Amino acid sequence: MIAPAARASAAVLPRLGVALVQIAAVAVGVFALTALLPGDTAQVVLGEHADTGQLEVLRRRLGLDQPWGTRFAQWAGGMLHGDLGTSLRTGRPVLDEITRNAATTALLTALTLLVVLPLAGWLGVRSGLRAGSRFDRAVNSVVVLLNSVPEFALALLLVGVFAVRAGWLPATAGGLSGWSLVTEPAVLVLPVGVLAAKQLSALARQVRTGVVTANGAEYATHVRRAGLGERDVVLRHVLPNTIGPVLQQLARTVDGLLGGVVVVEALFALGGIGSGFVEAVKARDLPVVQGYALLFAVITIGINLVIDLVARRFRAGAR
Amino acid sequence: MIGRRRLLAGVAGAIAAVPLVSCAGGSGASAGRLRLAFPAGGATESLDPHTGSLFVDQARAKALFDTLVGYADDMSVVPRLAESWQPDPTGTRWRIRLRPAEFHDGRPVTAEDVLFTYRRIADDATAAQSASHFADVDFGASRAISATELELVLGAPNFEFPSAWGAPATEIVPAGTTDFTAPVGSGPFRFVSFEPGGTAVFARFDRHWSGPATPAELEFVLMEQESARVNALLSGQVDYAHDVSANSVRLLEQGGRARVHSAPFGTMQALLLKVDRPPFSDPRLVQAVRAGLDRQALLDIALSGQGRLGNDLFGAGLKYYPPDLPAPARDVDAARALLREAGADGLSWELQTSSVDPYFESAASLIAQQLGEAGMRVSPRIGPAETYFSDIKEHGVASLSRTAALPVPTFLGQRMTSDAGSNNYTGYRSAEFDELYGRALATADDARRADLLVRAQRLARESSGNVVWGFSGWNVATATSVAGVRGAPPNSLDWARFDRVSVG
Repeated sequence: MIAPAARASAAVLPRLGVALVQIAAVAVGVFALTALLPGDTAQVVLGEHADTGQLEVLRRRLGLDQPWGTRFAQWAGGMLHGDLGTSLRTGRPVLDEITRNAATTALLTALTLLVVLPLAGWLGVRSGLRAGSRFDRAVNSVVVLLNSVPEFALALLLVGVFAVRAGWLPATAGGLSGWSLVTEPAVLVLPVGVLAAKQLSALARQVRTGVVTANGAEYATHVRRAGLGERDVVLRHVLPNTIGPVLQQLARTVDGLLGGVVVVEALFALGGIGSGFVEAVKARDLPVVQGYALLFAVITIGINLVIDLVARRFRAGAR
Repeated sequence: MIGRRRLLAGVAGAIAAVPLVSCAGGSGASAGRLRLAFPAGGATESLDPHTGSLFVDQARAKALFDTLVGYADDMSVVPRLAESWQPDPTGTRWRIRLRPAEFHDGRPVTAEDVLFTYRRIADDATAAQSASHFADVDFGASRAISATELELVLGAPNFEFPSAWGAPATEIVPAGTTDFTAPVGSGPFRFVSFEPGGTAVFARFDRHWSGPATPAELEFVLMEQESARVNALLSGQVDYAHDVSANSVRLLEQGGRARVHSAPFGTMQALLLKVDRPPFSDPRLVQAVRAGLDRQALLDIALSGQGRLGNDLFGAGLKYYPPDLPAPARDVDAARALLREAGADGLSWELQTSSVDPYFESAASLIAQQLGEAGMRVSPRIGPAETYFSDIKEHGVASLSRTAALPVPTFLGQRMTSDAGSNNYTGYRSAEFDELYGRALATADDARRADLLVRAQRLARESSGNVVWGFSGWNVATATSVAGVRGAPPNSLDWARFDRVSVG
């Protein structure tokens, strides 16, 4: 009884340690990179008409006259107590700034996965089982096409056709964000469509490859010869063996979604973490930039960690 | 298999049903609500009218608050909260009489409110955009004479002082205001809701001194991407799109789905050369650049032909702009001769530019090519948009810049005088110019003041590094059902003004 749990924690603990080191490295790296950007919050806030006296006053007030080392130490000190600091630009807690936008992105990502996972699974399995058929070739062409169109081009195309020409769907989210989006689901159709189209292709192809490989493998041939029904061959032997690589691809899908939302949120005027992050960088709002960087790091590293561990389970099960 | 197919059909059906659901629920538009799409961008997310620097900040401030005066299209002042004003003979004491007006909470707008507001703007701790306009006010000596009359005292004579009261970010707030989360103003609309970085909704204020506004409600929606604003307008999501580019004009007017309103030359487009550091401390090289530019080509290509040729002076079409000066013609041979004379054949320099203005990048490459033909090697360097204007104040020798409409004396005082500090982008210092400008401000007679200002501008045209090659047009767009919007230069009273707009 004790042995499997101990084995699991033996596998998890070092990985957790590595993840923490990775997250800390991201924090330091992003801080250094932001420090290298020209200009500071005072200049951005005061804009075109700022004179030197005003800049000095604002810099002192925001603590921008402190050396970088001191500012990082203060930030890191706060972090250890769970305090992400306050925005230089708005004076509100960084956590508030981020959670306000995170709801939008969480909704977008969840809806996209809801569309992508079943669709990619169905397309991948079906074309994998009938490799070389007309269906397989059609899916392959569409998927390659979608994958080769950049997100912004696809978004503009879809908006042009479905919103401007046909008038079926809203062209933008009109500044909505967070849970208020739920009251107007129509605004989500095009953004989710763009994100899904992009992620669908890689995942569907991964599923197809897995199915083709597993289907042609010796054990599949063996159980078929043993007289097992085709349905059972697929469900009990082919699919379980494709899950490991597909899960790896799924981790990349989530990473890709985080990148895609930046573009999609900008084009559809959605207030999510993508646009929040871009805005914070533009304003040189260092505490908020750091907050977002941590969030991205935690999500990416966390998901990869979980999926690695789950995939390991499946490999172990196969053996 | 059937099960899977049915499931898919269900999903497809659900997706197809979504637009219907949303139509039934209404897309957020209610009768009488004017929906306005403005560019966002990373400045302060507050309704404090004195600290916002973006167009959307100013548009929101204009709806909620009032200024003492406004600017006509030529940037001359027109009365708003101030009913009349009178300087003393020295131009240092200004007596202002306020019209009867009310804040949204029912309190009257008084002299004390005006004094509080201007003191707040001048206070360094506020970090107000318009602080320099009131730097010269002696607040110890200024006072309220009665509830509706006040006297402002200046340290030096200034007969152009009233234009300070109409500058962006000089809106009058109730005395004692420190919190702007649900601001009270005296503007045509009152606060309903505002989500920082998101949507703002304001409702008509029925007791506004100029009568109730036409729209029952305004809704400001932030859309940073120009394509998003244009698409939102074309698909009927918004009624008004602020700041659309010359390239979108044709798309918008196609099929009569939207109307574009243009202010013909709202914005100065200039190449700024720093004359206080090499190489342009040699006036011959400034002249060589002026001679080498093909302004017509810049207008035709960089501005798509929408705009007006520049004459190396700010303010085409504005009060005090000398209209009779010929635009410099291109003379490549003269430019080459000047270069040789200065011993600077093949002179190379960096031209700073950025995406902060949609016309900069094509203008920069054209300028580099044109001056290349005149024997200079110009390399454009693209800087970050967010801090562009402070970067070009401090660094480099040449940059592209643009300035929206403001009164000519304000521009001269804030950009060209020796004490303008870093806001004097070209580092121009001339005792003669300063003297002419100071004398103009101290002159009560309008015609003589105009004459002095024209002399000062001619001087600056010859020797400053302000190479104004053109004036770009300024476009906003509305749905065809919207009436009461016209193309007005940014910062003028009719720009981003929505109290007289109706949705058909």
